[in-house]
Amino acid sequence: MRTYYEKFLWLILPLAMLGLPLAAVAADNGDCMGCHADADMVGAAFHIDPVRFDTTAHAEIGCQECHASVTANHPDDGDTPSKASCQDCHAEIGAEYAASNHFEMATCNDCHNPHVVRGATAVSGQAMNDKCASCHGSLETVLQHAEWLPQADLHLEMLPCISCHTASLDNVITLYLVKRKDGTRFGGGFTLATHAELTELAGDKSIPSLIDRNEDNYISLAELRMFNLDTDNQPLRLQGMITPETVTHDFRTLDNRWDCTFCHATGPSARQTSFVALIQEDGSYQRIAAEKGAVLDALYGTPDFYMVGATRSKVLDYIGMVIIAGGMVMPIGHGTLRFLTRKNRQRNEEE
Amino acid sequence: MNTENKIYLQPTPVRIWHWLNAFGIVTLTVTGAQIRFPEYVQLFASYKSVILLHNTAGLVVAASFSLWFFYYGLVARNMRKIYVPTKDDLQVGLLRQAKFYLLTYFLGWSNPHHPTPENKFNPMQKSAYMAIMFVLMPVVALSGILLTNVSPLREIVILIGGLKLLVAVHFLTACCLIAFLFTHVYLATLGKTPMAYIKPMWTGWEEVDQHDQHHHSA
Repeated sequence: MRTYYEKFLWLILPLAMLGLPLAAVAADNGDCMGCHADADMVGAAFHIDPVRFDTTAHAEIGCQECHASVTANHPDDGDTPSKASCQDCHAEIGAEYAASNHFEMATCNDCHNPHVVRGATAVSGQAMNDKCASCHGSLETVLQHAEWLPQADLHLEMLPCISCHTASLDNVITLYLVKRKDGTRFGGGFTLATHAELTELAGDKSIPSLIDRNEDNYISLAELRMFNLDTDNQPLRLQGMITPETVTHDFRTLDNRWDCTFCHATGPSARQTSFVALIQEDGSYQRIAAEKGAVLDALYGTPDFYMVGATRSKVLDYIGMVIIAGGMVMPIGHGTLRFLTRKNRQRNEEE
Repeated sequence: MNTENKIYLQPTPVRIWHWLNAFGIVTLTVTGAQIRFPEYVQLFASYKSVILLHNTAGLVVAASFSLWFFYYGLVARNMRKIYVPTKDDLQVGLLRQAKFYLLTYFLGWSNPHHPTPENKFNPMQKSAYMAIMFVLMPVVALSGILLTNVSPLREIVILIGGLKLLVAVHFLTACCLIAFLFTHVYLATLGKTPMAYIKPMWTGWEEVDQHDQHHHSA
């Protein structure tokens, strides 16, 4: 019996050892969050939103990876746990940022709270700009840009600052659901729709089904049109922003961004890719790809998104050409007959 | 030719207004083409300067339009007389004028309409100008004003049906005006000589019809 028990122990020991680190991390995070998830217990400065923290990559590596010196007696030991430097893991980004003129002005943590930080495509463009706005006052920034940029207010609303002020790559069009402020019908403005608001509007269906009606995780032009024409969706509108797929930290003003042609004179071929980004319960955004070229639709694909010189509709181009050609019928047709019958008028004048 | 054979058809303010509009509308057409088709039309080196020029020309033409509207509508109060076709125009005049342009002109007959300062436009001109001045111009100007102020006027843009609809309306109305421009310039060459109708818009004086001159001298 004893021999059998020993054999069994030997068998499960390696398995238990394999599982140990994972269990330790889970226990570690859980231990920390036992207090730090409760704002009343630790105070606002040390409070960590467990729902948001759980969706970060930092939650996966565990609290102790960054706060290595924390002891089992924390906080009774009176020691302040150590904090890892961001560069320990993000050395390349750190070096890139250190070379930028922004480095002197803000630390990593000024823009990125490690307990809530998410990847660029999981946050809204508006949230990206909120970071900048915490130092760069919005009115002052609009006025500065208005000195050279036509419709500066519109540009600052529809573009993440980093699109022009870093070399971030691969800009795409991301459409966010904005909602008319409660109780207003006109003039109240729109804000990003919250998860609770969209859940209420979706009723017993999922939030994506508000637009992705067949829930195939792909938004066709027909689905976009249906969403925009559906009167049930009246408080909601899709607001487009140009967002980068790859984010860099080399903050500066890029020379080619002074030139409107960088975004506007490309013609329709450059603006084919778009996504609809929908907020999830944890506050992150889930992107669903939209049909290629959806933003070029003449009227109802994206009724509020238009980039002059870049997202024109071919159908309208053809209609316009036909109208102008119609105006040429008189000069060409009448002019030809006029030339052929010129003798009639000369004869008449002689008489 | 002495002044007895001429009539003072276009007063100075009207001529200034006309050429200001002409210059403005041509500028808007050319810059508008580059704004919409930048990969094909590159008349100006900088896209930004094209936009600023288009917006400025648009404001000048819109202001000039407002001047016209208030002058004829509130000061001179003859807007209806000059621009709105009468019952007679609609029943007889339109057909008579169309018959002239499409048939009797080629046979060498003279224009059935003789312009006077009080009755400048023939029935077809009246109808065309009415559509242009009361529909197309206000639509293109108002949509242009909205398109240059999207953020502050967003609620109005949404009320209208969205930015895309507004762009479509602005573009297609502009195309209608360009189409009219070709017809307008061509018809302006249809006088006794190609410059006979164009000159009065520059000098103010129109030489009266030779046929009428015989009557006058008789």
